[in-house]
Amino acid sequence: MVYEECVTHESSWDADEALTAVYTAHYTSLVRLGALLLRDTGTAEEIVQDAFVAMHGRWHRLRDPHKALAYLRTAVVNRCRSRQRHLVVVDKHTPRSLPDAPSAEQAALRTAETDRVIEAMRTLPEKQRTVMVLRYYGDLSEAEIADTMGISRGSVKSHAARATKSLRQLLEQNV
Amino acid sequence: MNENPNDSFDELMRRAMHEEADRVEPTDSLPEIQARARAQRRTTSRRPWVLTAGAAVVGTAAVIGAFTVLDNNTNTAGDSGVAAGPSTTSSASALPSSTAPQAGTSPSQAPLTEPPTAQATTVPKDRRGTPEPMGRGTLVPVYWLGDKAAVTPAPGATTKATPKVRLYRTWAKVSGRPAVEAVRIMTSKQSGDPDYYSLWRGAEINTVTRSSGTVTVDFKRLPTTKLNPETADVAAQQLIYTVQGALDDSSQQVQITQNGEAGARLFGQVDTSTPLSRAQAANVQALVWITSPAQGQLTKSMVTVEGTAAAYEATVNYQAMNLKTREVRKGYTNTKEGQKFTPFAFNLKLTPGPWQIEAFLISPADGSTTDVDSKTIEVR
Repeated sequence: MVYEECVTHESSWDADEALTAVYTAHYTSLVRLGALLLRDTGTAEEIVQDAFVAMHGRWHRLRDPHKALAYLRTAVVNRCRSRQRHLVVVDKHTPRSLPDAPSAEQAALRTAETDRVIEAMRTLPEKQRTVMVLRYYGDLSEAEIADTMGISRGSVKSHAARATKSLRQLLEQNV
Repeated sequence: MNENPNDSFDELMRRAMHEEADRVEPTDSLPEIQARARAQRRTTSRRPWVLTAGAAVVGTAAVIGAFTVLDNNTNTAGDSGVAAGPSTTSSASALPSSTAPQAGTSPSQAPLTEPPTAQATTVPKDRRGTPEPMGRGTLVPVYWLGDKAAVTPAPGATTKATPKVRLYRTWAKVSGRPAVEAVRIMTSKQSGDPDYYSLWRGAEINTVTRSSGTVTVDFKRLPTTKLNPETADVAAQQLIYTVQGALDDSSQQVQITQNGEAGARLFGQVDTSTPLSRAQAANVQALVWITSPAQGQLTKSMVTVEGTAAAYEATVNYQAMNLKTREVRKGYTNTKEGQKFTPFAFNLKLTPGPWQIEAFLISPADGSTTDVDSKTIEVR
């Protein structure tokens, strides 16, 4: 009952109301998702902002906050992935320290354990890493990951399996 | 797969990613997203969201006095909906510079007892002052750099003058802390006019605080670009003009710090160990700028071009060209007064199509075109 009411209410939102509501509920987690994929908060924020602007523009077609969230997630993941691919190309030509080297203060707040996991994640190919982030940070099901990334469920499975294998190896070594 | 180790692996992954993610505290960007969304909706009228408004300074003079709101840098999404309105016209005027009620505001920063090192001096907490109040829909000036050199040299004239940068101003409507938001635009956005740019791109603003006599602008990250001394000075002024403009107070010096530390060499040139003063407008501000119409604006055939100029003998020249038909309109107008920054305006009757309007000065020395500002508009 309550849910029904809620849905009717939500679908009567105009684009501006939807923007504010979805922003309030999901902006932070989307930026964090982007930051995990890119390891660059500034760029992640830019990408998420662009996605919200795009969502606002097509609200008349989405008309549903759940769809809007799925749309945003897909937009953010796609943009992060293409940005990453670009960075890989750049990286090959210019060996450099990461632009987002965390400040000492931030680094101190991280536990050694997290450090190891994040370091290990960096060694993964882009698709495997994306699958892992969506699974463990996004808490998405295989089907949702497949939709978000535009790949088959079978590929999600195999990327996840390969990523798990490499991560386990790395993490066990380093203990 | 066997259950047990997998469970702990899952748990480890989940914990690590959430912990890593939680370190990210995005700044509130709802106002900006809203502004961009609105601009997008109006694509038919192609009005850029950075308003270039003639006398728009009126109306929105910032509500600035002494502020009590303490910012712990927690502009997370949650707070955004309830961002304080312009209600903070608080009573007290001068801030006691010695009392430090904000001692515990940033627990993650270095302890106060840490002795200042030779190169980098930590600005003492009590001198950091307080942040400005939040506002909603505040109109702030944002300054950009533009090249002063001629774009289209007058026929026969040789432009030998080295390209010198000058400051150009646009307006932006922001919500939140006006100066912080203005600097954020300057460091992360495009101006809306392709001729204007910012050498602060890539810098990341942290806070803007005021204490008696000084405004402290703290960056998480300063720009890393190295510049020649002349350009570096103007680029530093870009920040000072923007911050002072947003605070509506050009009397206070600006101290630039990075994570609370002063003394970095800005752009490889500018010494920031002490506060910087505002330079004379005549030395850094563009001598001619068009304030209306805005870049990309869609207009009717009668166009009133308005601007500000400090012109020799009060003469501002203009040229408009239809980029399709190559039709040209030329002329000149006068500013209210010579040599000083005063307004000018002229009317044009234009045929439909894309037009580029240029306003410029003619050098009394060699007759060359200098200090061009240009806008491209679409005439219906």
